[in-house]
Amino acid sequence: MKTALPVLTGIGSVTPYGPLAGLISAEPLEPSVITAWATPGLRRAFLVEPFRPASIVPGLKTRRLDRLSAWALVASSLALRDAGIDLGQMDRSRIAVLFATGFGCVELTEAFYQSAATNGWAGTDPITFPETLSNAPASHVALFHDLRGPNLTVSSKSFAAESALLQAASLLRYGQADMAIVLAGDTLTQAVYEWYEAAHLLSPACFCNEPMSAAGGFVPCEGVVAMVLEPVGRPAAHSYATLGAGCWASGGDAQARVRQLLGDVQLDFTICAGNGAPCASASLTDSGRNLVGGSVIIPARPVATGMGEAGGLLHLLLALSTRPGRGQALLSGASAHGGYAALRLELS
Amino acid sequence: MIDAKKTIVVTGIGVISPYGIGLSSLRDGMLRGECCLRQATELYPGFEGTVAVVNALPPPVEGHHYSRSDRLAMAAARDAVEGLSGFDLRESGIVMASTVAGLTEIDPEISRGPAAWYRHGGLSRAASYSVSRVAASVGEHLGILGPACAVSVACASGAMAIALAANMLLDEAAPMVLAGGSDALCPFTLSGFNSLQALDQEPCRPFSQDRKGLNLGEGAAVLVLETLAHAQQRDARILAVLRGWAMTNDASHPTAPQKDGIGLAACIERALEMAACSVDEVGYVNAHGTGTPLNDIAETHAYENAFHGRSRPIPVSSTKSYFGHCLGAAGALEAAITITAMQAGALFPTLRLENPIESSKVDWARGELRREPLPVAMSVSAGFGGSNAALVFGSHSL
Repeated sequence: MKTALPVLTGIGSVTPYGPLAGLISAEPLEPSVITAWATPGLRRAFLVEPFRPASIVPGLKTRRLDRLSAWALVASSLALRDAGIDLGQMDRSRIAVLFATGFGCVELTEAFYQSAATNGWAGTDPITFPETLSNAPASHVALFHDLRGPNLTVSSKSFAAESALLQAASLLRYGQADMAIVLAGDTLTQAVYEWYEAAHLLSPACFCNEPMSAAGGFVPCEGVVAMVLEPVGRPAAHSYATLGAGCWASGGDAQARVRQLLGDVQLDFTICAGNGAPCASASLTDSGRNLVGGSVIIPARPVATGMGEAGGLLHLLLALSTRPGRGQALLSGASAHGGYAALRLELS
Repeated sequence: MIDAKKTIVVTGIGVISPYGIGLSSLRDGMLRGECCLRQATELYPGFEGTVAVVNALPPPVEGHHYSRSDRLAMAAARDAVEGLSGFDLRESGIVMASTVAGLTEIDPEISRGPAAWYRHGGLSRAASYSVSRVAASVGEHLGILGPACAVSVACASGAMAIALAANMLLDEAAPMVLAGGSDALCPFTLSGFNSLQALDQEPCRPFSQDRKGLNLGEGAAVLVLETLAHAQQRDARILAVLRGWAMTNDASHPTAPQKDGIGLAACIERALEMAACSVDEVGYVNAHGTGTPLNDIAETHAYENAFHGRSRPIPVSSTKSYFGHCLGAAGALEAAITITAMQAGALFPTLRLENPIESSKVDWARGELRREPLPVAMSVSAGFGGSNAALVFGSHSL
């Protein structure tokens, strides 16, 4: 069995910052006003501005796809480009795709319900149905790039992205794949936004044009981040970080588990992550301080916190984009439900 | 030499199926050759077809809103751990597969105005929408605090949940992992498969030359997985060894399988390689065998390719002929059936298979129940999006 630690060699993203390869500016963002559906007043969120996927990835056809699949294709292409990978030189049957999502293809699920509401269950659309499945984006990534390794879509109540990173590392570790593209993302729809609103989870910043503040609630975000993982030893365009061990859990003693995970490692950085829960950022920052003493805290960004279950990769991307320097880091997240995730990284 | 810390074993199986709750109800029903597929018209206005329904689901938990998929998962997980001892269940991990998840709780009215639908009782129902809720529900039900993850890879989900759980055990992410799948019947999926003209109005005939499509069923299965070392430490009864697992993707079409079955064959070969198992050692393959024209011929080609070096044809059957296709639960239910077949030394025949696809390399199990020792058996799954999964089980004596 292989034991080499996986290296993060490429990043691509389609986020409110736009479609980008590699690190991003990481400047603080303000939410945009929602215009995609009729709202009862001002409503704001971190939204991906419309763009033509083919202008980013020549030849890419996305007319029949929902935004999540289209963004996954663009983000994965940008990540491969950033990693300097020529797939023609690779054994594509050994490349895995892991996609982390909270809501999956919710746009087309809503469209399918719409067709049922209009035509009855006996008159639904056969073209839409297969695209409602949560694994459609990962399948399109495999189809577009001809990737024939393991293809997985995972969801974890608070830490889908962190879970996907760890699962991808396992596939590499046990020789079940030679490379993995890990993606995490969600789209924001009327039904999702109005659910957050009805559940009183949204920040006051969603309802006014005031700048973001630390007040309770979160501002929903949409987008997809893709990262290329491959074992140590292969010459690559970048080496953003090396992934070490990690853990995630639904509850229990997070600090004890994370201490066990760290062992003798002296941390230089703690990258805070959160899953959209109002208290998550504060509690995990405190947790990080308690755990790691003098390490530099890289705080969670509202834009990544707003992506919920799939926000882990965006947290990591934004932290790397601050160019913290070399050193040992811990990606550390906590949820309002008592869950936690932690992932050791050696920043390059 | 077996490395007990790297050997994954199955020490518990929980099932809720159209036969009832418990593996014994499933086993006894299948040994009798009983088919659970029934004509139904009540699932939505205008639907007429054949399905298999679970009637044994315990009543909902008061004060909580769990989807039907959640409740099936909770019942199977409870059944899986019942009677097990010598471990702290709270530390376990959970990997649950589902494709339907909370879609059972949402109706088309949501599309006319989500906010209004939430105000009229939809808020808690929609909370069960995410597939991650299925794993979280099992955790809440059993007080499990370890890593919880859901897998949604169409009809290969259940098998992939077991594969991921095995990787988690190798990683020592948890001392024990409950892995399986759960999916309930609902208008969304029935309507979807009906619109694709993938349903057979009559009981399905997998691998038959005149097959017309699939039937949908519902259910859940959960396997208790742990390392051999952990199982021995707590003196557990070992039901089977998970000797090998693999996952691949066809990367050929969004919905249709690869015609020549190359991707699925590669998956089978990788699982056998991991199991260090020759093609001649496999005594039985529990096939994906949906009964759709495209799947069954592609799958036949996959077996012909993957087992081409065998000295005799590979015995294959589809147990979807007993209680339909349970989607995200199918791979887990079929893993449970594969282990049951090994334990009972019984090769469950495909029902209604009178005119099988011609193949000189596949031994279609059909007709009477076949009794023979099965030290090694395999469960194979595939799904929309080109995903494939294969699990190789062996008896503990190996």
